[in-house]
Amino acid sequence: MSFLKLLTLWERCPTTKIGYPTRSLYLSSKLQLKQIEEVITDNTVTISAKILPSEREPHLLKNANPVVCPVCASGLDIKHTDVLILSQFVRSDGCMLPRRITGLCRKQQKRMSALVTMAHKAGLMPNLNPPNSNKDPKKRHHWKKFNKYFDESTIKT
Amino acid sequence: MSALKRVQQWATFARIWHVYDAAWQNPFHSAKLLKKYLMGLHKPIYHPLNDCGDHVIVINTGDIALPEDEWKKRAYFHHTGYPGGASWTVAWELHDKDPTMILKKAVYSSMDGNLQRRYTMERLHLFPDGKVPADLMKNVSNQIQQIRPVPKRLDHYSEQERKEFPKLIDYPKDYILR
Ligand SMILES: [Zn+2]
Repeated sequence: MSFLKLLTLWERCPTTKIGYPTRSLYLSSKLQLKQIEEVITDNTVTISAKILPSEREPHLLKNANPVVCPVCASGLDIKHTDVLILSQFVRSDGCMLPRRITGLCRKQQKRMSALVTMAHKAGLMPNLNPPNSNKDPKKRHHWKKFNKYFDESTIKT
Repeated sequence: MSALKRVQQWATFARIWHVYDAAWQNPFHSAKLLKKYLMGLHKPIYHPLNDCGDHVIVINTGDIALPEDEWKKRAYFHHTGYPGGASWTVAWELHDKDPTMILKKAVYSSMDGNLQRRYTMERLHLFPDGKVPADLMKNVSNQIQQIRPVPKRLDHYSEQERKEFPKLIDYPKDYILR
């Protein structure tokens, strides 16, 4: 029991495992690919980790040309208003995922993060924001509360 | 004059009422479009001395969109005529005070600087939201197509739409979602 707990703690530690995102303490989370369960019976605590299937699995586009990254292979001209695509590259707080997780090429990663910034500024992804933020874009301050649009050709890649 | 010709005569010279939704539209690009309808430039009978302009009702002028940081860069100049009477108002401040003013000024300055534009502007009816008096709305017989597509916010899509949309990337197997 204590060994398992130690193992999970060791796994959680950002310095021991490179490639892991740092993880603060979560008591419950309904959506995670790796779920950590705690079962308490009498005076033993069992902590187990299991890998859940991803919700994205059935809707994943097949990469026709696996040599290049998924965005290049799709051949799409992604705009900053395509929030259903851009929301796939961000965390639930609206932060861009790093390249080791998105698996995009350097050029597309830079382009996608610029497009995500544009979508956030235009208030098109108000539900993907830090929990303490103001969810309604119309309640922003000064010039930020009005609608704005962006020109994708201004992105330098 | 036959009945057909008479109806054609009425249809040619009647003033048509158009409606235009300015939500997420650039006011300066919209002004170029609306100007044609207001002055009657889209009609084959157009002549500067021929009073053949149409009425345009513009709704949702409070939701116009400007590119990038133009809300804080574009300034509107006014001078009272007295010494030290100059003032510069930034676009977002003007829009805070009157949500129809930016579009009104854009249409006015898009037309040539003769006195006829004062009368042409009388045919432009601006409303900051969708609330239009019923006696104006009953005249409308045409909708002017918007220039820019209106973007849809992510939280206005249903949970199922978001879930079933084709995904470009999947998480690594050991990724802890948050
Ligand atoms: Zn690529």
